[in-house]
Amino acid sequence: MYELKPISDRVKRVREKYRNTKPKIDINRYRLVTEFYMNNPQLTGVLKRAKNLRNLFENMPILINEDEIIVGWQGASYRCCALYPETSFNWFMKELRTNNIRTRTADPYLLDEEDEKYLLETGDFWDKNSMSAIYDEYMPRYHRDHMCGNGVLFFGKKNNAQSPVGHFVANFWTATQKGFGAIAQEARDKMAQYEEEGLRDDTIFKYNFYRAVDIVSTGLIHWSKRYAAEAKRQADECTDPERKAELLEMADTLDWIMEHPCRNFHDAVQCIYLYQLAMCMDGQQHGISYGRVDQYLGRYYEQDLANGTITPEKAQEIMDLFYLKVAECNKIWSEGATKSGPGYTSGQLMTMGGVDKDGNDATNGVTYLMLQSAGRLLLHDPPQALRIHEGTPDELWEAAIETTKRCGGVPTFESDTVIIPAMMKRGIPLEDARNYCLHGCVEPGIGGYEWAQPGGTGTESYLNIVNAFLLAINNGTNPMRFPGAPEPEQTGPATGYLYNMESMDEVLAAVKEQFFFFCKWQCANINAWESIIGFHNPLPMVSATVEGCMDSGKDVMWGGAKYNSTGNSCIGIGNVADSLNIIDYLCFKTKKVSTREMYDAIMDNWEGHEELRQYINGQVPRLGNGDAEADKYMNFTAQTYADAINCRTGPRGRFSAGCYPVTCNVLFGYFTWATPDGRKFGEPLTDGISPVQGMDKHGPVSLLNSILNFDQSEYGNGTLCNMKFHPTALKGADGLMKLRTIMETYFEEGGMELQLNIIGSDTLRDAQKHPENYKDLVVRVAGFSAYFVEVFEDCQNDLIRRTELAL
Amino acid sequence: MSEEKVLTARLYDIQGFSVQDGPGIRTTAFLKGCPLHCPWCHSPESQAYYPQLSYIDMRCLGVEACDSRCIKACPHNAIELGGERLDAKTNEMLQTVHVKRDLCDNCFKCSEVCYPDALYRCGDDYTVDQLVARLLQDRRFFKRGGGVTISGGECLTQPAFVLEVLKRLKDEGINTAVDTTGFCKWEIIESIMPYTDLFLYDLKHMDSEKHKAVTGVPNEIILDNCRKIAENGGKMQIRIPVIPMFNDDEENIRKTAEFCVPLGDAVTVIQLLPYHNLGVTKYLRISDKPVMEATPPTDEFMEKLKAIMEEYGLPVTIH
Repeated sequence: MYELKPISDRVKRVREKYRNTKPKIDINRYRLVTEFYMNNPQLTGVLKRAKNLRNLFENMPILINEDEIIVGWQGASYRCCALYPETSFNWFMKELRTNNIRTRTADPYLLDEEDEKYLLETGDFWDKNSMSAIYDEYMPRYHRDHMCGNGVLFFGKKNNAQSPVGHFVANFWTATQKGFGAIAQEARDKMAQYEEEGLRDDTIFKYNFYRAVDIVSTGLIHWSKRYAAEAKRQADECTDPERKAELLEMADTLDWIMEHPCRNFHDAVQCIYLYQLAMCMDGQQHGISYGRVDQYLGRYYEQDLANGTITPEKAQEIMDLFYLKVAECNKIWSEGATKSGPGYTSGQLMTMGGVDKDGNDATNGVTYLMLQSAGRLLLHDPPQALRIHEGTPDELWEAAIETTKRCGGVPTFESDTVIIPAMMKRGIPLEDARNYCLHGCVEPGIGGYEWAQPGGTGTESYLNIVNAFLLAINNGTNPMRFPGAPEPEQTGPATGYLYNMESMDEVLAAVKEQFFFFCKWQCANINAWESIIGFHNPLPMVSATVEGCMDSGKDVMWGGAKYNSTGNSCIGIGNVADSLNIIDYLCFKTKKVSTREMYDAIMDNWEGHEELRQYINGQVPRLGNGDAEADKYMNFTAQTYADAINCRTGPRGRFSAGCYPVTCNVLFGYFTWATPDGRKFGEPLTDGISPVQGMDKHGPVSLLNSILNFDQSEYGNGTLCNMKFHPTALKGADGLMKLRTIMETYFEEGGMELQLNIIGSDTLRDAQKHPENYKDLVVRVAGFSAYFVEVFEDCQNDLIRRTELAL
Repeated sequence: MSEEKVLTARLYDIQGFSVQDGPGIRTTAFLKGCPLHCPWCHSPESQAYYPQLSYIDMRCLGVEACDSRCIKACPHNAIELGGERLDAKTNEMLQTVHVKRDLCDNCFKCSEVCYPDALYRCGDDYTVDQLVARLLQDRRFFKRGGGVTISGGECLTQPAFVLEVLKRLKDEGINTAVDTTGFCKWEIIESIMPYTDLFLYDLKHMDSEKHKAVTGVPNEIILDNCRKIAENGGKMQIRIPVIPMFNDDEENIRKTAEFCVPLGDAVTVIQLLPYHNLGVTKYLRISDKPVMEATPPTDEFMEKLKAIMEEYGLPVTIH
């Protein structure tokens, strides 16, 4: 039986502090960046970003809290939140001016009055200096003039790109084993070589890239040494001999790491944490992930155990404190965006398990340390992803299922069987494909080797294909009407109206045309954005380690990585597939309803058509129940979107289709008109690749049979399938094995990812009523887990409505 | 064209991921009709052979939403306004309906117009082809001992159909289990044995008179068939529903254990199934009659019974 080991008192204290500290806005970073930008208009591009970061390394406050072993922070107080105005800031100023920051329902923040005053005085500077403002100027003209209000793409007339480049993974092997001293030296050597050659042609760009790498690498070393000095200072003042010795050890580590290769487990954990924090501080923590933590930490742990310089208990405590440090990271999102990722999450996903480059099981001692920390600390953050393959040990299966029973969706389960071939479809050779990890939510990529840009442009990476479907049956016009707004315009191709369509083939052809049209524009916008942001906001701190950049002299944003691609994600496969199924069944196969009647029902938002809606919800064979006729539209919808995305190329490489919603399915639902699947205007869209909520009535086997109807290896940017089991379905050791069998079968048959909530809707309803009793209840929401009581109500309801799979 | 009679059976449910009905992941076909009438039965809709009107008030959208279609459709005035229920989604009270059972003749006119299936027909006929095709849909999940279970009711009251289905499943290499009360002619069990990998076999009471008084049938045939399955090389999971005040006394448990010991290897495991009252609401779906309700046995009590049976060297689990 898998057991959770007792937690040390120190860890208990830190966890308590974490759960009881309300996040607060800290303006240290904001102030430094704003002043730097105001004072340095002469700097642009990579040098501006490098010097901006070095300025932070040199001047950010240094904070070492009581009880900490792993240190580093982006502000002056515990669990505070830094601000990143360079990306976009007018949303923040708007919320600040309406006094919404402190009072909003989801993820409110504390803010000191004095800081507020400074923000109000300076914030408007960013109106014309943020990345978002810059992109708005460069947006393709046709899109700006003719496509607004389409509802399919997130790109609009202005205020685009409120999220930065995110969802990436640096190379932590290089960071721990090589060190930034050697990297900076390499950069300086390259510069000397270019100078020697006379900076011929346009090598000045590469020269400046190396210069930037040198600046940020030496800056990072400096930052670490500042922490070392603080640890030493605290040690000098410390009267407790045990803590004093610990602080001295920390000082020794902090003084050594970053510059030199790590010597032991403690060094390595501190090194990856500080490096990651540096990238967060530079690029805004937007799904920046940790990659295969057990793989790059394993060697240090095993070596220390063999030397007798560490005990499993000590290593576990370091791991716990490291996890709590990552959990402490949070960033403020706009209130609207909070609806896509609620619960103070920063999405620093960690991957464990899987195979090594030769295909052998790669589980090691650190894999178990990770699961212990996640399980016993009941943390929703950092998210954990477990790679499953044929040789995954029984012990690891058991540990993982027991963890997810306690902590919803921790870890998620990822299939090597499907993902490795999906990576190879992107042109990555087998050996490297085996080294994939998960980025951000569920997106696979070769962390440290590939610039997969799986999160693409953040929110703008999402495509609402339900609206593309609605345009297909409404002559290219979104039927959404806001009260008082002008009549909606035609934004997509004129594919005709449903009531004039005489066969299912006509309907499908119209859908296909809209999908291809909008995917083309989606990629066009992303390409424009990538090129602009690549110039203004490159990422030399990441590029310092990612394989390929130092050889090519190119930033990751310029295509310097060994492998390149750009990810995309759609929302609403289930709604589109079921809507097609229902139109086919009612209008063409059984002819029970005319296409006119169906069209009117949708345009009327079902008002006056309640009987038909009830009939559709109760009597029509629905997607997700093993009905082959209904399920074939799953394949059509998923494959059509994948084809329309995968055929396109970006500035660095190919596009890659995905389907994971964060909670955009709820958010997008607010702005999506009624659909033939009985959904009314405003109701959530489907979650991930799942069927319409509550419409899969025949249990997990029929559900997965339906989902397995499409080829997930076409979804190189990841798929997401949430399953909610009632605890009674998994009673006893036997229940565990049955759950494992379900997952193994799904993976063997082509399923990519599964995430489980083993909790009853009854419990969730009770938690809504009595949040005080469920403070630690962790549930998997979408691409991340969250404390249930901290997510907004519509999202809670969406979780409850998800079909509960039990007896 | 010659009219060949097609073999059919009446089912009341087919359930995938049926984790309580044998090893591994199974899909279970539940056949309708049972010669026993156990008052604790958690599937009361399984007892009658004929199709029944069933009603789940939680599914009712309220008469306002559907314009009382069911009430209007009923030719016998058997549907009247019933209680109200709280709709969890909207937090509004909905006016539901009630079936006057004495007036209902199961004509299903109401269920035909009840789109959310609050009123529904319980009991549909399947051909062998239809059922086998449905069961095979799930086959890729039948790993680690999983497969198909034929259950009931008492499925062996429709023996020709069951035999045919089992044969077809074995042709496909599917693991098969038959969940039975054992109350049937030995010849029937004998005929299906070659195609049955496992019996889920209920033992309810060792005293025939008490057995008859409560379930409606004596136990001699049941015990006899059980022994014969063992003698003929069959495998059984023995299932004992632990019913308060009926069969949960130490004497009966010991006698059951003594009966099981000579069955030897034929018994793969003995499952003690503690009585639960989750079936009570299911009775309300098909009837207004009062039903047995008792306090479920405690975990400690179940452990005690388990320990008693283990004294006999038997493999026992609490299910």
